[in-house]
Amino acid sequence: MGNEAVATPLLEVRDLTLAFGGVRTLNGVSFDVGRGELLAVIGPNGAGKTSIFNCLSGVYRPESGSIRLDGNQLVGMRPPKVAQLGMGRTFQNLGLFTHLDVVDNLLLGRHHLMRTGYLSGALWVGRAKREELAHREAVEKVIDLLALTPYRRSPVGLLPYGVQKRIELGRALSMEPKLLLLDEPVAGMNLEETEDMARYLVELRTLMGISMILVEHDMRLVMDLADRVMALDFGTPLATGTPTEVQQDPAVIAAYLGGAA
Amino acid sequence: MTTNVPDWDSLPHALLHRAHSTPDHVALRKKDLGRWRSYTWREYAERASAVAAGLRELGIGPGDRVAVHAQNRPAWVIADLGIQALGAITVGIYPTAPTAEVTYLLSHSGTVAVIAEDEEQSDKALEARASLPDLRHVIVVDPRGVDLDDDLVMTFADLETLGRRASNDLMTDLAHRVEALDPASVATLVYTSGTTGPPKGAMLSHANLTAAGRNGERGFNLRPGDEVLSYLPLCHVAERLISEVAALASGYVVNFGEDSDTFAQDLREVQPTFFLGVPRVWEKMMATVTIKMSDADWFKRLLYRMCMRAGSSVARRRWRPDRFRPFDAIVRGVTWLLVFRALRRQLGLARCERALSGAAPIAPEVLEFFWTIGVPVVEGYGQTENTAQATVVPVRDVRIGTVGRAVPECELRIDEGTGEILTRGPATFVGYFRDEEATAKTIDPDGWLHTGDVGELSDDGMLRIVDRMKDIIITAGGKNISPSEIENQLKVSPYVREAVVIGDRRKYLTALIGIELDTVGDWAQKNRIPFTTYADLSAKQAVVDLVGEWVASVNEQFAQVETIKRFVLLPKELDTDSGEVTATQKVKRRALEEQFADLIEGMYS
Repeated sequence: MGNEAVATPLLEVRDLTLAFGGVRTLNGVSFDVGRGELLAVIGPNGAGKTSIFNCLSGVYRPESGSIRLDGNQLVGMRPPKVAQLGMGRTFQNLGLFTHLDVVDNLLLGRHHLMRTGYLSGALWVGRAKREELAHREAVEKVIDLLALTPYRRSPVGLLPYGVQKRIELGRALSMEPKLLLLDEPVAGMNLEETEDMARYLVELRTLMGISMILVEHDMRLVMDLADRVMALDFGTPLATGTPTEVQQDPAVIAAYLGGAA
Repeated sequence: MTTNVPDWDSLPHALLHRAHSTPDHVALRKKDLGRWRSYTWREYAERASAVAAGLRELGIGPGDRVAVHAQNRPAWVIADLGIQALGAITVGIYPTAPTAEVTYLLSHSGTVAVIAEDEEQSDKALEARASLPDLRHVIVVDPRGVDLDDDLVMTFADLETLGRRASNDLMTDLAHRVEALDPASVATLVYTSGTTGPPKGAMLSHANLTAAGRNGERGFNLRPGDEVLSYLPLCHVAERLISEVAALASGYVVNFGEDSDTFAQDLREVQPTFFLGVPRVWEKMMATVTIKMSDADWFKRLLYRMCMRAGSSVARRRWRPDRFRPFDAIVRGVTWLLVFRALRRQLGLARCERALSGAAPIAPEVLEFFWTIGVPVVEGYGQTENTAQATVVPVRDVRIGTVGRAVPECELRIDEGTGEILTRGPATFVGYFRDEEATAKTIDPDGWLHTGDVGELSDDGMLRIVDRMKDIIITAGGKNISPSEIENQLKVSPYVREAVVIGDRRKYLTALIGIELDTVGDWAQKNRIPFTTYADLSAKQAVVDLVGEWVASVNEQFAQVETIKRFVLLPKELDTDSGEVTATQKVKRRALEEQFADLIEGMYS
């Protein structure tokens, strides 16, 4: 039994198809993500990478196909429900409340885990108090892990961009996701910030065993971190395999370099 | 209630006493996951005893070297006292030390076990394991990400558990161990980062540390209600005195902040009553205030200037209590209410009634600034080799520019021939580990320690430091010049972070100057000067002019031969990783002269 549970992938995506009007953005995309695995999705702009994320997190409803997370069918579910089932997500353009401080942004990431009603929350008695303390502690662990301690009470909008990207990751982590969707986590970062982010991602995997899907243009980061890579072009998977295999795939080279394969 | 420990002859002895007399009082605090957690004297002593018993179980005994490689945190002092209680020798390693340096220290000291903070630090020891035949254990405090299946590796928690299992009663055990300690034996190796050459391991005995404790007790009248923040590297003798020696002697609370990046915030939360700073820390605080005030509105600036003027004359009279007038107390009260209370709260010095500056010389202007806002900072002088026990400025007889009088248990004299400062007393170190030649050069047959500093002693016993002997500049014209005085004067500007005066065997003096990125960056933004990096900012003509104006004004305070004729701005920030400054932010002059030889030659062509 135990072995069987490990053997089933965390996420199973089959024949995902999505179209806007006449434009097919996803055309029969299928893939799995194993437990603790990091799958990178690469492809030129408009290849459908963000569309996959939007389908996975319930923002778009695919025309056909199935998405199963830990056995639960996600197609047709609304985003809050999907989040509750363990799908966490970071946004390329940051999904933070710039006027709130780091702690509050991370606490908001845990909103779906909070059980207290308005009244007891306002009075801060009994269960509400215990619950808030527990949430605060969970948030503090994320702050510790991502070395955000110097910024705890700073409004997010005043912090450097590289730190904001880290807070964005922290917000997603606070959700305690089973699967983390990372949308260009190092876009716009300098070399040092990129290396820091890579180190945090490695730590998340080794310490917490979180599965991740990474969409990223920084090929060095992708090749260093990913267990497997899926290359997309015009909504169709070109190749899936280890970083080295995908890098040497003629179809991938052609799509990227524009040469005739 | 007696606050002093009677007749203690080692730090573990004092710890035992504290744990018996005030077991439930707070000894240590640590900010962890955003909250301050307290440890009582009993917990402190029991955990130290568990560490000692655990190490014993691992086959480690008296005389063995055990390294601690971590940032300041309770585990550091607990481990240190456990190691010392066992009769073993603690070797402190700077958290910032790169692998090569860690390897050198572990190998030179013949360390058998390292207590490493986390994955980063344990990796440094494990990387070099092949060249470290003596190393048998790597004990990790925070094991996240560390491979615990490795034969060498275990956790600090497991070490304590091992000790607790082996012991029937931790307090009785500790008492037995304390009984067995020989006060004259070595308690710790303090590797002196040294501004030149490879580090040397100064051996400090239990007796050295207790002598320092007695001096501190008498000099500063510290008591259990006092609070300090432990933030300078604990392997440095100065922080060791504050966080361990004086804390055990006086029974005050030692606070450990979150990490090295949160210093300013931690200081604000702790508001220590006693504070030790190195010049760099004081300079930085002063620069922060100066810059913040220049951004304030006209009313606040006016108020600030008025209070500074009033505070400054009061401060000068405070240096000699016989000149202090009753009216001054009123002025102090008013300026405190108007400006200084808020300002000191922001800095984290609101409650700070006693403060020390040490480890390097500091400019008089900086000291005066802090006296003006009501923080009486006095300079102390000492070095690792005399357990930092030489002189301290008496708070009731302050003479700026001197480092004060000899501490109670220290004899002081100046060598007639060379002008070198010599000290003698129970705090004089045992010698350099595995280096008899260097030891013989440092301690002469009569027991005098040769400090390597040149100084002058006034008739009433006040010491003035001229400079490090090897740093004194003799110009081509044959003039003796003390560079540190000029350098400190240059560093008074909020825009100047580092200054190194050059001129030995040269026609005139020049300086390498490093700007302070925060303040100059701020200035550049206000003046609409775009810049990208530190190097880019340093290269801007406007910035060179800004610093040039300041250099010119400093020159006015010195004699003609002591003026800086030319200067260049350093293209990069100095850091410890590349060996340009020591862990206490002292510039390594020789390293800099080599690295920027081109720039220097440019100023003489």
